[in-house]
Amino acid sequence: MHLFFLNSFCQKSESVNISFDVVFKNNPIVLHDSTYNSNDGNSIKFETLKFYISNIQLFQNEAAVYTEQNSFHLIDVSDTSSQNIFLKLTNGISFNKIKFNLGIDSITNVAGAMGGDLDPTKGMYWTWQSGYINFKMEGICNTCTDSKKNFVFHLGGYQYPFNPLQKVELKTTVNSFKIILDLNKFFTAVDLKKQKHIMSPCADAVILSQQLAKCFSIK
Amino acid sequence: MRKYAIVFLCFFLFAFVIKESLFTVPEYFPIPVYDFSKNPLTENKILLGRTLFYEPMLSKNNTISCESCHSPFSAFTHIDHTLSHGIHDSIGTRNSPALMNLAWQKYFMWDGAVNNLDMQALAPISHPSEMGSSINEVVEKLNTSEKYRKLFYKAYGDNTATGEKTLKAISQFMLTLVSANSKYDKVMRRESNFTEQEANGYLLFKNNCASCHTEPLFTNGNFENNGLPMDLLLEDIGRMKVTSNKNDSLKFKVPSLRNIEYSYPYMHDGRFKKLSEVLNHYTNGIQPSKTLATQLKHGIQLSSNEKVDIITFLLTLSDNEFVFNPKFQYPK
Repeated sequence: MHLFFLNSFCQKSESVNISFDVVFKNNPIVLHDSTYNSNDGNSIKFETLKFYISNIQLFQNEAAVYTEQNSFHLIDVSDTSSQNIFLKLTNGISFNKIKFNLGIDSITNVAGAMGGDLDPTKGMYWTWQSGYINFKMEGICNTCTDSKKNFVFHLGGYQYPFNPLQKVELKTTVNSFKIILDLNKFFTAVDLKKQKHIMSPCADAVILSQQLAKCFSIK
Repeated sequence: MRKYAIVFLCFFLFAFVIKESLFTVPEYFPIPVYDFSKNPLTENKILLGRTLFYEPMLSKNNTISCESCHSPFSAFTHIDHTLSHGIHDSIGTRNSPALMNLAWQKYFMWDGAVNNLDMQALAPISHPSEMGSSINEVVEKLNTSEKYRKLFYKAYGDNTATGEKTLKAISQFMLTLVSANSKYDKVMRRESNFTEQEANGYLLFKNNCASCHTEPLFTNGNFENNGLPMDLLLEDIGRMKVTSNKNDSLKFKVPSLRNIEYSYPYMHDGRFKKLSEVLNHYTNGIQPSKTLATQLKHGIQLSSNEKVDIITFLLTLSDNEFVFNPKFQYPK
């Protein structure tokens, strides 16, 4: 009891630093040059890799103790500064959980033009049919069957029944931590011979987004 | 508490007066759909949007502007061809719609693929058969233009263009395109009277057409299959393309009939040149299908005299002042 009290007392924080590390197994992903080998024999190169994290909240058990305002972050592997998120807390608070969304909620999807990370120049807004791309991943794979051997996953949309928005929940009590997205888990779950081009809201986009949500962990 | 209420009320009235001078809701119109609080109109932003609307830099090779397919004299559509023309003489797959009363419109495009007026311009800017560019390329060009740096500064107090600012300025201009001064409107306001033939046409219209082309906007804003046989070259399934729902097959957005005299040809693929052809379709040409609008299951019965009367009424929807409003023309 005494130890528990001490522990939560020590963890009261005024700010939180989060860094997002996108990796393949234990290797950080570098675009264009590096090749990554999955357990099932795919060798993969990444050309584009960016995704939205939104609605960040800190929880103490089941109670939300902090909700970031205007919480939309485009994490872009080609831009290291985009991978760090700083939360300024008003009071020292204790927490043991972080929750966030992978993607953009439906209300924001219909709210018209927005700036910052949501600006349509970020290349994450579909032009021919309104809606944000939650997760954009393009690259080359030896087992892809078409001539260019490329895979393109533009996972997004917001309308029922194809809303791929995912909630992610991770345990943490410290005020500086890394959130790891390990794509090896994703490519182990996906059969690139069958699924390599998704560029519109659909049932597969929802399934793949669910797979991605399972690839987050905390360190 | 009361003090706050009064302050709030004053603020609201003040905001309303300012807004009213730039955008007025005719008293017999519904409340606009567009959320003006996220993009409050100002004269300088409207001017920026108007300049952008007429700006060929929005296209890849600086040849096509919004006005290329949406000219004011035709109620902001293009009247020479059935399907829209774009960059490098390419031809699109649909007939460009007339632009008016957009503040009341919930969905854009014939299939409703665009969910907010702000995002509409992205589609033609990016389409390879329309402007063939991208919003990034457009913003980059605007940021190297002395003229636009000044216009952006006047509009936003900052001379840097962004995607958001560019799109919102275009929205501002489009929102001002309100058409509510046709003879029909004057009759509604008791400033004018229908002729006997127009009045008869109005009655026939209300009995046969108004469930989809609902007053005062002359559209119910829904998607309907009006029984057009599918063009086998275009194979356009309409709304189903967006929703992947079989029940939406061959449904297209019900267009407003305001300024219909100026905005021929008609239908999503521009297949009819004349209003008489449109009415003949509704009396004799309906193609039965599972998704056909229920009101059209038995076609519409009209004598040839009745058709003429309806057309006479439809011509009262022409708003000359709208089409020739100097505020909507190329900014000199």
